Amino acid sequence: MIHYRDPGDPRTEDPPPGEEWVTQLSMTGPVRENAVARLHGLMLRAARHQVSRMPDAAGLGAALREEIVHSAADEATLSVLTRLSTFEGRSRFTTWAYKFGILHAGVEVRRAAWNGREIELHEAAEPREATAASPEAYAEGRDLAEAVRDGLGQVLTPHQRRIAVALLVDEVPIDVLAERLGTNRSALYKTLHDARKRLRAHLSAQGFLPAQTTEEVNR
Amino acid sequence: MTKREPLSPEAVERLIAATEPWLSCDDCFEQIDAAIDKVVDSTGSMSEELRVHLSACAVCCEEARSLAALVAEEHGLSPAEAVARLDAALRIR
Repeated sequence: MIHYRDPGDPRTEDPPPGEEWVTQLSMTGPVRENAVARLHGLMLRAARHQVSRMPDAAGLGAALREEIVHSAADEATLSVLTRLSTFEGRSRFTTWAYKFGILHAGVEVRRAAWNGREIELHEAAEPREATAASPEAYAEGRDLAEAVRDGLGQVLTPHQRRIAVALLVDEVPIDVLAERLGTNRSALYKTLHDARKRLRAHLSAQGFLPAQTTEEVNR
Repeated sequence: MTKREPLSPEAVERLIAATEPWLSCDDCFEQIDAAIDKVVDSTGSMSEELRVHLSACAVCCEEARSLAALVAEEHGLSPAEAVARLDAALRIR
């Protein structure tokens, strides 16, 4: 854990507004120390907020949750300081900074919740009989589920199929799967994007979705 | 195939979600703070790319809703009101 000066230290002052954050965090000496301590306080608030709203965190135990809050706040503080030059003032500084705290806390909670759980990358799923308000809706839902299953098997590559089933059927969190596979969130989301595009084209051809325009197909 | 799970209606919906126009998770992260401030303040709308991404990426959407709730007080709103404004922005097509 990184040791920051206590934000309640009497040498600290009121939180700086807007761009003054960047100025103070870019300086040296006590002014910067003061600003970093306040930034770390913001990151603690963001991390605690994120952990408190995640159902996955409930089963982790109070001690581990608190450990995650502090670890995420430390990581987020470093992320903000590292990327300080990229802050362009398009949002409030606090909103910009908070997103790092939320990201790090979310990732750590999901990883902890899935720690030790096997992720099985299988290729397809059977349609389940859905509850529907009418026989027609039931039949439509069943037919669509069967068409989607056919699409999974027919138009996706094995890699696309495994990723789509893991993320969208088994609901493995995307950053947990990314870590297990040694990749990143954006790369997996691109795989999903390509898989969904193929599935939608397949379903359009089967008459389950409106026909796609040439522009959509070629994207 | 080593396991065969039922395909729920919710899974079907997730599998066929539209993801055009394209936006990566990294670009979503870059844009989300400005978008949240605008949407929560009702001073602007979010880009179509961002709206589609948040509608199709569960983790990015959950983090966006969390950010909206966290900054709500600074915008004079309750967390529920701020999240409701984000949810409304996501429903607009």
